[in-house]
Amino acid sequence: MVILYVLDVAEFLPIVESARRISDCEITKSDKGYWKIVAPTEIVLNRKAMQMKPAVWYGLFTGGMNGEIAEFGRDEVRVVGTNKPL
Amino acid sequence: MAVKDTLHEKAASDSAYTTQRDYRTKDVEVAKLRRAVEDSTQLRLDGVDHTARPTWKLRETVEFYRDILGLPLVHTISARGWGAPGHPDFLHFFFDAGKGATIAFFYYIDTDRPERYLPEDHHFYAATHTAWGVPTEEELHKWKTTLESRGLIVSPYTRHEILESIYFRDPNGYPIEITLRLRDVEVIDEVDAKLTLEAAMQAEDELRAGGDRLRDIDTVWRRKAKLVEELISEP
Repeated sequence: MVILYVLDVAEFLPIVESARRISDCEITKSDKGYWKIVAPTEIVLNRKAMQMKPAVWYGLFTGGMNGEIAEFGRDEVRVVGTNKPL
Repeated sequence: MAVKDTLHEKAASDSAYTTQRDYRTKDVEVAKLRRAVEDSTQLRLDGVDHTARPTWKLRETVEFYRDILGLPLVHTISARGWGAPGHPDFLHFFFDAGKGATIAFFYYIDTDRPERYLPEDHHFYAATHTAWGVPTEEELHKWKTTLESRGLIVSPYTRHEILESIYFRDPNGYPIEITLRLRDVEVIDEVDAKLTLEAAMQAEDELRAGGDRLRDIDTVWRRKAKLVEELISEP
């Protein structure tokens, strides 16, 4: 399982919008200012699809990430499940 | 406003620069200091008065800030070296950067620039920089196009989370940033800022206790996930 937490501010909302297009993602919004995105195995995000500038892209998971980054390229990132401790 | 002879009579007969030097030389042991919350005194600031750096290029620095950037030269101190032995004679001058803030330089006369003060193309060096705000996107655009038309090399626009910036160097090699705040900072930003650093400090403390150190940001993001989950699970 992979979980991303996304702060509810304009610059990170493209993550939530992208996740909506992933069929097996479950998205909830807390009243504490965070979105929670849960996927069973992995989450892949594309920078250009999200129209994100590099300086924001490389801070993509600043809201919190329960998972492991398998690949973090300039245009694509893939997060997979992990047993690493939080 | 009239200038008083001295604000603090007791301190007037001596100078911190001559005899009381611990404030410049002793390590600050944060763990031993009293926290603000313990004495309930709220200290207040009113923005930046000035920042200051040394320069070994007097004319270029004056011409760059005053004549190229167009910042008014508003104050100059010229003095014999005093206080600590060996202190050179110097000029200390201030350029107005808006809203009462100035950028200042020390020009130490008859000295050479030590090698460790030479500019480096390295992020450790560039971390110490001056960032000035502009109020509108038009003004940011105007800074970039105007400085470029004056012959200066200016970076592309860089969008950060809440800032959009351009960068250039002054003749000393000091990095300058001109930045536009893209939105106001809100309460959730403060909560998030606190959680990110709390995550980093927790992870670092634990790794250090085991003789290791923080190796990557992913470790911080994972701990942040734990803290955010705790926050949003609270009733």
